[in-house]
Amino acid sequence: MPILSYGYAVWAPIVWIVALVVIGIMVFIWRSRGQKGYKKETAQADVFLSGAKVPPAEERHVKADNIYWGFFESLKGLYSWMMKPHTGIVNDYLLWFVVVAAIAILIFLLAGL
Amino acid sequence: MNLKIFNRALWVYHMNTGSCNGCDIEILAVLTPRYDVERFGIRLVGSPRHADVLLVTGPVARSMEDSVRRVYAQVPDPKVVMAVGNCGIEGDVFHEAYSLVGPIDQIIPVDVYVPGCPPRPEAITYGVVMAWAKLEQLAKQAKQEVA
Repeated sequence: MPILSYGYAVWAPIVWIVALVVIGIMVFIWRSRGQKGYKKETAQADVFLSGAKVPPAEERHVKADNIYWGFFESLKGLYSWMMKPHTGIVNDYLLWFVVVAAIAILIFLLAGL
Repeated sequence: MNLKIFNRALWVYHMNTGSCNGCDIEILAVLTPRYDVERFGIRLVGSPRHADVLLVTGPVARSMEDSVRRVYAQVPDPKVVMAVGNCGIEGDVFHEAYSLVGPIDQIIPVDVYVPGCPPRPEAITYGVVMAWAKLEQLAKQAKQEVA
C-alpha cells in the first residue's frame, strides 16, 4: 500500500478511498430508510416557512450584499449621493476624468507649479 | 394496541391557530418527566414535513386560515389531525367571534378530538394513542392498495 509519511502526518490514498466508500454506503443506507410517503409534485415537497406563503425561488434569493445592509443603511447619506455619478457608462467616467484633469491643471497653473 | 405497519416513532407537529396557550401548556406537560411520552418515541418536531400527526390548538383566527391549510398540505401521507381543546373543536367561548373561521374541522379534516379547557395531559396522551391507531389503520390501507 502506498503510504507517504511526512514525519508529522501520513497520507495513504487507499485508506482514504476505502473510508469514503464506507461513508458513502452508510449515507446511502441512512437516506434509503427515510420517509417514502412523500408526494413529490405536491405541497408536501414545498419549503416550510412557519406556514407562511413562500415566494418563488427567484424572489426569495438572499443576495450576498444583504449582509452589508447595516453598513449601507448607516452610510445612506453618502452612498445615495455617490451612486448618482456612478452610472456605469464609460463616456460619463471619461467626462469626469477630463473635467477633474482640467481643474487639476488649472490649479497647478494658477499655483505656478 | 398491536402496531404492525406503523411501528416507528410518532412525530407530532404542533400548530397554534390562536389559542390562549392553555392547551399548549398542557401539551408541554405531556412531554415533562411526569408524563414523558418521549419514552415511547412521541415527540414534537419543528416542521410539518417531518410529522405524522398535525396537532392543532385554538379556534382558528381568520389570519391563520391559509397557514392551517398550507401546513396540513405539507404533512406527508399517511397523516392524522388532532384537535386539542374546546376552542378548536367547537369554538367554546369564542364561537361567535367575528375574527374566527373555525372550528378546525371547518378548515381541514380532523381525525381525533380531545375536548377540555384545557384537556388534561392524560387526555392528550390518550388522543395521541388514538391517532397512532388511526395511522396504523391508514398505513395498512395504503399497503393493501399498493399490493
